[in-house]
Amino acid sequence: MTCEELLRYLSDYIDHNLDEALTAAAQEHLSTCHNCRVMLDTTQQTIFLFREQGKRTIPAARRQRLFDQLQDAFLQTKADC
Amino acid sequence: MYTEQELIAALRRRDPDAFTFLFDSYSDKVYRLAAGLLEDDMAAEGVVQESFIRLFERLDQFEGRSKLSTWLYRVAYNAAIDRLRKRRPTLSLDIGDDEEMPTPIILADWRDVPERLLTKAEVRAELDKAIAALPEKYRGIFILREIEGVSTQETAVITGLSISAAKVRLHRARLFLRERLSESLMQYV
Ligand SMILES: [Zn+2]
Repeated sequence: MTCEELLRYLSDYIDHNLDEALTAAAQEHLSTCHNCRVMLDTTQQTIFLFREQGKRTIPAARRQRLFDQLQDAFLQTKADC
Repeated sequence: MYTEQELIAALRRRDPDAFTFLFDSYSDKVYRLAAGLLEDDMAAEGVVQESFIRLFERLDQFEGRSKLSTWLYRVAYNAAIDRLRKRRPTLSLDIGDDEEMPTPIILADWRDVPERLLTKAEVRAELDKAIAALPEKYRGIFILREIEGVSTQETAVITGLSISAAKVRLHRARLFLRERLSESLMQYV
């Protein structure tokens, strides 16, 4: 496998979407190519950082108002039926 | 707790507890997708409102062919894209098949940025900046897959893409963000 191919398959490799032969070829390449190893590690670290960051939520100050407005709409839509 | 079918049935009866459950389960999900796409909290709240109201109007026809979350995400995704188009009529979500893969430029190894630094506000700000710089055609897909943990198949349904197109876009998004973070996080190694 070349560096270019490795780059193309990188996400499928990370997500375990490659068949056995391609997985083996990728692993083989990664064991000898420092640049691609860094690509893999830093891409995985990128994914990790976004997955682990706290999830944002509707700001508390506005959440109740939004709840109230939607609850009114919810109860009202019945009347139109 | 409700199964999805029970929830739909209870919502049709206009059961107030079902509404509370619906709001608590889905409002933040829809909000995160919209806020990520629009970078505007108020506009994102508008999208939440629009999506929920659309659901209330469609409750009687809702067939449960897709999961409720998929349905809501899809309505919200389209509503957010509509707003983006109003803001910027030239917005394009297409990518050419022959569009060149970005070549990675920065191969510095920053995987060893110490854990304690990664929780710092500065680093959080870098993540926000990186995702804001990600073109919209990739951003929704990245948020759905990596932040919301939605499957590739559902992401494809939500965004109206084929599964293979959704995969390609996720791949490009990851490479783009890796490049941005390599640039900004090297200073912490
Ligand atoms: Zn290589």
